[in-house]
Amino acid sequence: MDVRADSSIPHAEFFPAPPEPQRPSRWARRLADDRRELARFLPVIQNLVVQELRVRYQRSFLGFLWTLLNPLLMMATLSWVFSYLFRTIENYTLFLFAGMVPWGFLSVSLNECALCIIVNEGLIRKIYVPKLVFPISRILINLVTLTLSLGALFLLLWPLGARLSWPVLLLPLVILLLAVFTLGLGLAVATANTFYRDCGHLVSVFLQAWYFATPILYRAEDFPVESQWRFRINPAYYFIDLFHDVIFAARWPQPGSVVVASAIAIISLGIGYVIFKSQEDKMVFRL
Amino acid sequence: MSSSSRRKTRWFSDSEPTRRDAGAKAAVGNEPLIELKEVSLRFINYADKQYSLKRAVLDLVLRREDPAPVSEFWALRNLSLRIHRGERVGVVGGNGAGKSTLLRLLARIYPPTSGQVVVRGNVAPLIEMGAGFNPELSGYDNILLNGAMLGYSRREMIAKVDGIHEFTGLREFADLPLKYYSSGMYMRLAFGIATEIDPEILLIDESLGVGDATFRDRAKSRILKLLDRSHAVILVSHEMETLRQVCTRGLWLNRGELRADGPIDQTIDQYLSWTREVAC
Repeated sequence: MDVRADSSIPHAEFFPAPPEPQRPSRWARRLADDRRELARFLPVIQNLVVQELRVRYQRSFLGFLWTLLNPLLMMATLSWVFSYLFRTIENYTLFLFAGMVPWGFLSVSLNECALCIIVNEGLIRKIYVPKLVFPISRILINLVTLTLSLGALFLLLWPLGARLSWPVLLLPLVILLLAVFTLGLGLAVATANTFYRDCGHLVSVFLQAWYFATPILYRAEDFPVESQWRFRINPAYYFIDLFHDVIFAARWPQPGSVVVASAIAIISLGIGYVIFKSQEDKMVFRL
Repeated sequence: MSSSSRRKTRWFSDSEPTRRDAGAKAAVGNEPLIELKEVSLRFINYADKQYSLKRAVLDLVLRREDPAPVSEFWALRNLSLRIHRGERVGVVGGNGAGKSTLLRLLARIYPPTSGQVVVRGNVAPLIEMGAGFNPELSGYDNILLNGAMLGYSRREMIAKVDGIHEFTGLREFADLPLKYYSSGMYMRLAFGIATEIDPEILLIDESLGVGDATFRDRAKSRILKLLDRSHAVILVSHEMETLRQVCTRGLWLNRGELRADGPIDQTIDQYLSWTREVAC
């Protein structure tokens, strides 16, 4: 048996291509690897998403209504309380709707992403599945919920003056940008929570604070000019602002804000991806 | 930190664009299906597995030295081996010798701490059955889900559903959520799925005795059929007779190190005489 027989072929013959600079080529290879792996494991993502949704919605006929009930009640309460405070905003309920539904997507996704690796511990320790599958499927599941609740709530708000307009055509793009942004954060949170188990709690506390710091209940324009920078440094502001533009104000967003939102989304995804991939191999030992 | 570990650890899979083949095209036919080059795997026992941010901050603030005493344990040490097409390898060794870890390494569950693992072919792990079963879903859906995790598309799995039902006899329960299955039915389904596929490299961990007596006989014959279909088999077992019957080559692992590698009978004899010596 040729055990411990080292290959006699020199190293150079394995890699005839001239060596590229190490750093970019490593990440380029990881990206290519992941693309291939995700293509191969697409059925897994598909199954996880479809079946989660089916379990959630088919078991109880009310399943979907329950997911609607939460934002609906929140919106009802908040608009009742705050519409006196924010008299400047006409149709405050619709304004709330345009901001709260996407925020709900962000916050639920992040909370779920934080747990997605730990919850699937049994799976990860038993069989090989690329770990990117878990955060991605969480995001996709919530994306479906987001789309459905946007549609359903829009219909419910029709009597209150919700109307379709041409800028709504940009909605898919805006949702996509938000999803990319959320995925990036979700990857980072999933990694952190796998290594430090109390990160999940921090995430929910942080999300609560972030919620109030983002112009969802109020309008950024109502604040004095000198404190506008507080919103400018808040990455979520740009996404919520796009939703406000498209759904509430029915105006075409500034091209500049679309560009900024895209840049933030891509940077977020890049950072999240690097964090996740650099720790991916160690995760199984920490479960 | 990650750059150094990346340099040490390289993972290849069958679908990797095989630049290596371009250089050594002549050797394609007899390239080993599995190649381990000086592979080591270290487990770190975290005294507190649930390490929390709170603790990390406290440790930093209070300047506690080495707060959670960790012990490390080399499950595999400097393992090099090649397994070629057509080989059936039996792995023997005491408890904690690294047999199951080796299988998990080959199944890509554990990444090597250092060294290189090359696997050319799709791997079917019969290590833990029923991985990825979702108790809320029906038996049928679980077949599709489990198949997806083993790398089969929905369509390919739908074609296999009949064969699985045929074998497990659970056709009438196909629409029942898995949580209502008895544990025997659960195992049968898991076994049925795992053995219906056509793997190139088959990894089997022992204790495949599932279900009642009649099922066990059928399970055994089904495993033997599966062995014939796969190109390479790695079998971990404590039953020396089974190993002698099934395998052609034997590996003896002791404390993560390769003690012997040769024809199965020879390896088992060496191993048995060693255990007798230790026992005396």
